Amino acid sequence: MKKVVELTKIFLKNSFADMNMKMGISSTKSKIVSNLIYAILLVYFAGIILFLSYNIIDGLKIIHQETTFIGMILFMVLGISVIQTIFSSINILYFTKDNEYLLPLPLKPYQIILARTNVMLIAEYVIIFLIGLIPLILYGILTGAGVLFYITMVLAVILMPILPILLISILVMLIMSFARLTKNKNKFQLIASLILIVIIIGVSLSTSNMKDDMSNEEMAQMVVQANGMIELVKGYFPTLDYLVEALTSNSITTAIIEILKTVGITILGFIIYMAIAQKIYFKGLVGNLFGGGAKKSNKKINQKEYTDGKLYKSYIGKEFKILIRNPVFLMQCLLPAILIPILMIVMVFIGINSEEAGMDQLIQELNNMQTNSFIIICIILGVLQFFTMFIYISITAISRDGENAVFIKYIPVPLYKQFIYKIMPNIIMNIVTIIITLGVAQYILHLPIITLILLFVVATIIGILQSILMLIVDLKRPKLNWDSEYAVVKQNFNLVFPVLLSMINIAIIIVLAIWLGNTNVYIGLIIFGILFGVLTLIANRYLKKNQYNLVEKII
Amino acid sequence: MIEIKNVSKSYIKGKKSVDSLTLDIKNGEIFGFLGPNGAGKTTTIRMITGILNMDEGDILIDGKSIKQNPLEAKKNFGFVPDSPDMFLKLKGIEYLTFMADVYDIPKDKRKEKIEELTKKFEIYNELNNEIQSYSHGMRQKIVICGALLSEPKNWILDEPMTGLDPKSSFDLKEMMREHAKAGKTVFFSTHVLEVAEKLCDRVGIINKGKLVFVGTFDEMKQKFKEEASLEKLFLEITEKSENN
Ligand SMILES: Nc1ncnc2c1ncn2[C@@H]1O[C@H](COP(=O)(O)OP(=O)(O)OP(=O)(O)O)[C@@H](O)[C@H]1O
Ligand SMILES: [Mg+2]
Repeated sequence: MKKVVELTKIFLKNSFADMNMKMGISSTKSKIVSNLIYAILLVYFAGIILFLSYNIIDGLKIIHQETTFIGMILFMVLGISVIQTIFSSINILYFTKDNEYLLPLPLKPYQIILARTNVMLIAEYVIIFLIGLIPLILYGILTGAGVLFYITMVLAVILMPILPILLISILVMLIMSFARLTKNKNKFQLIASLILIVIIIGVSLSTSNMKDDMSNEEMAQMVVQANGMIELVKGYFPTLDYLVEALTSNSITTAIIEILKTVGITILGFIIYMAIAQKIYFKGLVGNLFGGGAKKSNKKINQKEYTDGKLYKSYIGKEFKILIRNPVFLMQCLLPAILIPILMIVMVFIGINSEEAGMDQLIQELNNMQTNSFIIICIILGVLQFFTMFIYISITAISRDGENAVFIKYIPVPLYKQFIYKIMPNIIMNIVTIIITLGVAQYILHLPIITLILLFVVATIIGILQSILMLIVDLKRPKLNWDSEYAVVKQNFNLVFPVLLSMINIAIIIVLAIWLGNTNVYIGLIIFGILFGVLTLIANRYLKKNQYNLVEKII
Repeated sequence: MIEIKNVSKSYIKGKKSVDSLTLDIKNGEIFGFLGPNGAGKTTTIRMITGILNMDEGDILIDGKSIKQNPLEAKKNFGFVPDSPDMFLKLKGIEYLTFMADVYDIPKDKRKEKIEELTKKFEIYNELNNEIQSYSHGMRQKIVICGALLSEPKNWILDEPMTGLDPKSSFDLKEMMREHAKAGKTVFFSTHVLEVAEKLCDRVGIINKGKLVFVGTFDEMKQKFKEEASLEKLFLEITEKSENN
């Protein structure tokens, strides 16, 4: 056990404690600044969460369904654990560099697995506490709950994520150990992770479809019934059921029993997890490190390879190839552009399927309402800012090349041109997100085509602005001395800048929304277009004018 | 032809990594740049190639200033950096065609050139694999191929021999000789005195940022005998080379 604790500490240190060092933050002054920025973001998010929670609880109170809130929050904790684990488990379990040094050490498999699982849990608790505890504390205050509630609440938030994390990790391990057997390992791993994501989305879709089978009567009853929501959600995970019960009951004994049940199931899950993991984790790991490698392909070179392309084509193509062939970059830079809006679509469909009555009503209301209004446009633009801030292509455009980043400085191609090539993937993925989002918006809102086109143009301009600004940040603070790709997309302070920029953009949108109020949609969109267009031109000019100074940090 | 004119550079204020360096490398010459670790070899090469701005002085490559006219100057050289770990996720052939696009090499010529170079280095059969699957030496070779595709007039290499097996090292030296014979310039840094002795028309020795000697290898040996301080430096370099 001591070894497990030690290992956990080492893994954590590798990914957290000396993060500042790895981020290239050395002086205490910049440490303070970076901590301050983190604190501001934290407060910002906490504020948003509080605001939303307050409104929801308030709304539920009116119809005496406030206990539904507890189910909602725990369900969200569960969902977020699942999503986080999909993205992090592959990286933490398989693509960390220290695996290479770990294997030769005299450690028992279960010790390493335990330590890795601990790291995953601890990493996820940061966000889970934020999203789980804050709303529940507010709930406790608003409903005047007693001490029992708060104690149960903490236990519930700690216990809730464990089972989903274990489940997803097992899935990942299964896929990885299977990947070992295939010839073209890299490609398989990629496809497998994609399939995993699709399966999870599919399962959540189909479970929501299952509700279609319920008779209308049952359905109506459910909707009418207080706390009907929880009943729907409970089916997913047994522990969710117990924890909601524990939190909503007023009796100490019930709370204790339900918590004990949860603990029991979690322990059982853990034992099963360890048993399976010991069997398959190391096989997959060893295969991952040393097995096969790239497949030895046809020696004959496809004559097509020789055709002279235009430089912009092969340069942007090169950027995309590196992004796609590197599983870490693919998962962290490229896929969010597609997955996040798709998750949104899934959620919309779940909403439609589970609350048909409500949705019909909503659509009817929307039809009666003027959807082609400036406020709606502002909301769509704001939502888009949330989606696009996870596209880490531009913000890592230079850092991704590592020590090879100097390449851009000694080839006879103007730096500004190369900058544009490097941000193109970011702009393209931004457009993908925009198209998906607008598609869904159109499905619900039925906007006029001109509005849609203008909206697309404005969103694209904001995307270009984001791409240019984030490249400038990466140029000014490149992180070139990394030993694993993971460091670029995780232990990189620069990644707060896309979040900051999105926050600023949202603030601008809100200010304009309030200020311009009931303006005509087209005028509003044109104002947005001009404003962000001018900002983009300024950023572009800065990039072009300072191209030679901007690369000074790259050596 | 590479003309280095009174160039200085300090990474940290007050500590010059290269100090008033003046050096001409003529056409048709193989020039070896020698010095112990941390002497300033890589720094000099970084300034020649435009990776690093110099604090003082100027560098001309075939008459084009890397400072005033960087794009033209960069067209005049091919560069092999000290670490060959580049574009590991690209296939060999993708890397080379990308370089061909960068240097604007026409279609009919690039095929011929790629085949000629990669066959010479015996990596032709690996071109369809990702560079990641290459050994250190093979990576070195593909980077060299990339640098030579455009048939640059000046060829700049930072520690090119490290990691190459004797056969490849021999091939590389042969190519350097051919290159020089065709009236072009080769400038490379190395620790290995033996390489310098057999290959170089002239050598330069840099120590603590200062050029302490320029001349033929024989002249160098002569001078070493005369000056005790140089003798010590000589030993330092040779000792290093034995470790390689
Ligand atoms: N990025 C940097 N920041 C600060 N100082 C540096 C940097 N790169 C090099 N130096 C310093 O400049 C001096 C010269 O280094 P340089 O890399 O040019 O040596 P070198 O001759 O290439 O050595 P080696 O044989 O080890 O490759 C050294 O004292 C080194 O510490
Ligand atoms: Mg060096």
